[in-house]
Amino acid sequence: MKQKDFVATVLPFKDKLYRLAKRLLVSSDEAEDAVQEVYLKLWKGREVIHKYKSPEAFAMTMTKNYCLDRLKSKQASNLKIVHSNYQNHENLDKQIDINDGVSLVFKIMETLPEKQRIILQLRDVEAFEYSEISEMLDMSETAIRVALSRARKTVRDQIIKKHKYGIS
Amino acid sequence: MELARIEKLLAAYFEGNTSLEEEKSLRKYFTSDTVAPQLKEYQSIFEGFHSAQHEVSQRELIIPDNSVFKIKALWYGIAASAIVAIVIGSFVFSGPSMSHEEREALMAFNKSKEAMLLLSKNFNNGAGQLATLNQFTESKNRILK
Repeated sequence: MKQKDFVATVLPFKDKLYRLAKRLLVSSDEAEDAVQEVYLKLWKGREVIHKYKSPEAFAMTMTKNYCLDRLKSKQASNLKIVHSNYQNHENLDKQIDINDGVSLVFKIMETLPEKQRIILQLRDVEAFEYSEISEMLDMSETAIRVALSRARKTVRDQIIKKHKYGIS
Repeated sequence: MELARIEKLLAAYFEGNTSLEEEKSLRKYFTSDTVAPQLKEYQSIFEGFHSAQHEVSQRELIIPDNSVFKIKALWYGIAASAIVAIVIGSFVFSGPSMSHEEREALMAFNKSKEAMLLLSKNFNNGAGQLATLNQFTESKNRILK
């Protein structure tokens, strides 16, 4: 497979990989690193990429696994504290740009368990079918619906709570 | 869009029972300006997901260029074939000196063969003369019987 064909196959979903990585790793810098890393891995396996039913789903799975590994190693090396400090500055900047309600949704999403975060991202942001998500995450569609419902309800309850107290 | 339908869709949405089409219409409703006041609190959810769709990666990807590897492979090929050519060539060119030695050996072999033949011829001569000696013994036996 030549570089040109490879780029034509994998580049269309670059932003989707980036958004998933960002949802999990939170920092945009780390998300960019993750995307680059995933593309290098895809490039190494470029001869077999056509064997997969959907290169996009395959790449999404790889991104998810890579980010979860990163999170695990970060937790182990205690880097998370340093990182969340950094994140606060970024959120402050964000709040100036977008209205409070929207950034609140992101903040609530960050508190969700990783699996729910991934599913919410894939369904409500990227609008994948349940069958596609099931392939990416190697989960049954029923399990996905249950996790999704739970995640949506958590977001809703948190939002309503904030609205009631008038804090955001 | 009628409010009752939106409320029904919303309930199904939180149970994870909406199709992509239905979720699209929900999003369309909540990102419009005509959201009913009692549903305002749900608006930020859909607005948030909607704005999340427009986040894009800013960094350029670095994808290794395989033409560099190909040129390298080509040079490796050339180097390997040159070595093979040198090895074969050295055998071919050292060939004549070998055959010179061989010629000498062949000559020596022919000479020694000639000498052997001469020897065996003379031996045969000697053996023929011994036959007459046999005759002598025969006649002696006949007389002294």
